[in-house]
Amino acid sequence: MTLALSLALAFLLGLAAPALAFEGEPALYEAAKKEREFTWYTAHYDSETAAAVCKGFEKKYPGVTCNYVRTTAQVAFQRVSQDIKANLAVASVFSSTDTSHYGHMKKEGWLQPYTPRNLSELIDAFKAFNDPDGQFYATAAGLVLITYNTSLVSEKDAPRKWTDLLDPRWKGKVSIGHPGFSGYVGTWVVLMKKLYGWDYFKKLETNKPRIGRSINDTVTMLNARESWVAAGPSATTLISKDKGNPLALVYPEDGARLMVSPSALMKNAPAPNAGKLFMEYLLGKECNEIMVKFRQDPVNKTVKVPPGMKSIAQVKTIRPSYEEIDKGIPEVKELFRDTFGI
Amino acid sequence: MRWRHRDRSLLLWVLIAGVLLALVVNPLVRLLWASVHGAAGFTLDNYVTAYSRWRYLEALGNSLVLGLAVGLLCIVFGVPMAWAVSRTDMPGKGLVWAAVLGTFIVPSYLSAVAWILLAGPNAGWLNRGFMALTGAAAGPFNVYSMPGLVLVIAASSFPYMFVFTRSALDLISSEMEDAATTLGAGIVRTTLRVTLPLTLPAIMAAFIVEFLEAIALFGAPALIALPGRFQVMTTTLWQFFEFPPRVEVAAAYAMPLLLITVLLFWLQQRIIARKGYVALTGKGGERRLVRLGGWRWPLLGYCLLVTSLGFFMPMVVVLQAAFAKAWGRGFSLDNLTLHNLRFVLVDQPLTRAATVHTFVYGGVSAALALALALAIAYIVRRGLVPFGRALAYVAMAPFVIPGIVLAIGFYAAYTSPPLVLYGTAWILILAFTTRFLPIAYANSDAALRSINPELEDAVRVLGGGRLLALRRVVAPLLKRGLAGAFILVFIPATRELSAAIFLYTTGTQVLSVLLFDKSDEGNFEYLAAIGLILVLGTVAMVLAGFRLIGRDFMLRRTTA
Repeated sequence: MTLALSLALAFLLGLAAPALAFEGEPALYEAAKKEREFTWYTAHYDSETAAAVCKGFEKKYPGVTCNYVRTTAQVAFQRVSQDIKANLAVASVFSSTDTSHYGHMKKEGWLQPYTPRNLSELIDAFKAFNDPDGQFYATAAGLVLITYNTSLVSEKDAPRKWTDLLDPRWKGKVSIGHPGFSGYVGTWVVLMKKLYGWDYFKKLETNKPRIGRSINDTVTMLNARESWVAAGPSATTLISKDKGNPLALVYPEDGARLMVSPSALMKNAPAPNAGKLFMEYLLGKECNEIMVKFRQDPVNKTVKVPPGMKSIAQVKTIRPSYEEIDKGIPEVKELFRDTFGI
Repeated sequence: MRWRHRDRSLLLWVLIAGVLLALVVNPLVRLLWASVHGAAGFTLDNYVTAYSRWRYLEALGNSLVLGLAVGLLCIVFGVPMAWAVSRTDMPGKGLVWAAVLGTFIVPSYLSAVAWILLAGPNAGWLNRGFMALTGAAAGPFNVYSMPGLVLVIAASSFPYMFVFTRSALDLISSEMEDAATTLGAGIVRTTLRVTLPLTLPAIMAAFIVEFLEAIALFGAPALIALPGRFQVMTTTLWQFFEFPPRVEVAAAYAMPLLLITVLLFWLQQRIIARKGYVALTGKGGERRLVRLGGWRWPLLGYCLLVTSLGFFMPMVVVLQAAFAKAWGRGFSLDNLTLHNLRFVLVDQPLTRAATVHTFVYGGVSAALALALALAIAYIVRRGLVPFGRALAYVAMAPFVIPGIVLAIGFYAAYTSPPLVLYGTAWILILAFTTRFLPIAYANSDAALRSINPELEDAVRVLGGGRLLALRRVVAPLLKRGLAGAFILVFIPATRELSAAIFLYTTGTQVLSVLLFDKSDEGNFEYLAAIGLILVLGTVAMVLAGFRLIGRDFMLRRTTA
């Protein structure tokens, strides 16, 4: 074979193969193919989105099967703790929305450090949420904001800021989740307490809110017309709206609650290479393009949000620090139970 | 001869005791051990933690109220229906029976979701209908309340009462009623004084089952009690499993319930022991139907009303949502879609695997539970070994353990050597077997109780062995009852949630877990689609079962 021919061949092959997403991708992909499949515990999105994200991965990396197990954050964490206690290696990648889980897992030595090459594409504002020791990285973001049913509440009557939910005209018509079940709700409660003191919830109590478990229960309550307004999540509400349900979002003037949720590679990962490849993928362009289709906020800076959705950069957001969350959630859970009786 | 026979029975006793040890005693002992152990050895701190809060005590009180109210309401729902179907010439029995079966198949967490739509205080369909009819400003129904929860659970769990009472009624021959009639008693008096009292053991057993079922549920209370602003035992237990999980406190919290169960059973035994209830003597036993005359239709109406609460109305809601693009938009043609079913069946490979798992685990568990229960019931009834009653108590014990706690016990017992089951299907199958052993046992026992030992003695007098008596006399007599018992275990095993949610792993997902995960995704369209698959799948399995064993085990063979 002449040099010219082999060069031409190499050129052709280069054209046929997809562009390298990051350095070292082919080797990682080869190693992942030998592992054939991996399991991902995720609480970041609903199962429809998780299914699409997995499918996108399998399309990009044929020969590596992505098995997702979608649950709420607390259940995902319980599951992984059970596995480890039982000496079972199941999950390779773990994605929770309760950031305190990562601190605990790190302390217990359940995680393995891996610095994704694609980290350079992470939106700069989210970099602060990565672990300085390289054990977990922000791969998903979302907002807690005010939501309402448009067939019951007109745009001009809708609440504009968090304190509007205390207005007596919403008595019996407000829906919220429970911090004992949902990481999203827990951090939202911590934030409200920080902004307005516990008085906020004492006043909210007199408005007799309808309390579900997950933050997503608010979507059900609004769709059922059981509640009119809610402290709800951005993505699930928008997905439900896309289906034709009469819902709308309000970005509160006093700030939407920003949720940044990390993912991590398990130390006992049965498929460490597939796991690493998946971490790269979660930060990459393809995955984020799938995520925005399902109304998730992208974490990759090259991916734009579709019309009808504000990018996080355009929204006034606030969020407590990791320490405030770690310390705050157990405390507000008890306060919440004392105030609301459940 | 006699000793050899004793030896064989003893061997069986040891075998069964061993199985029960693994299934019931070991997980319970682990829990008990956990409840009195702290970092520094023996302690009662866990009990102090579990009972030092008013909130926790209140939740226990709520569970007791819930269990008693559900049990009583189930008598109101189930007993008249059982009597109507078994003893009267009411029309539409097939329909009523199918609706009862349907009620039993629909999981209570699914019907709870549907009831939120039906009787939500602000916008429930029933309330909106009421307001439209009367012009009132608000409707009378509020599902988010203790009465709401009681109604939802009773409406979906009364089939236990129906089936227990009905099998007892089916075994009572008209001769006894005739005797009463001859002595001048009317239909009402005969029914109240002769027929129903004879079914008392069955009604009491069912009451206990309903009570325990109601206090052990997690799904429906999580959906209804929490927004209704009250806690029950299971939702409180959930708190103890939050991070960091306090299994030991949960164990302490669950312990007194065992005492309550023991008390209930002691009470049942006391009441039953005072009277003789052997009704099936093998001597003829013709059964005639009571002629209701003009009351036939109102009674049918009552049966349909009750089954509407637990089956027809929730299923309308589920069907609407399963085929809706957006269920918030209600009924309209342009809102129809097959997308939800397609997504859960095609795009989510988990659903298919979970469907297979659900029915395989359910079938295997039901077979295991029944075999075990029957063996125990027979040994106990016929007094083959000393201390048989101990086996009976152990077999009934699992019902009082909330599924979550049983799962944690199983988890504690079978994740470390010598026996590692976690991660395999067996841990789910055995947990289901254990969880539903009491149903299988109560049924086997009730069925055996009504068979007079004289029937077997006749075989043995004629020179046949006990096995021959079992095979040729007892088994044929029990066939219908046991087929019914199989269904009674199979169906709840297919919809079991609270144990499954802690014991499944990626490869052993079941539909109930998938469904429950959807319940807090705000995605009711998919939830309904999975619920529909679960319900239709179970119906298909049960119908296939009828094909195999003959439909007559539920319907009367003849109209006599």
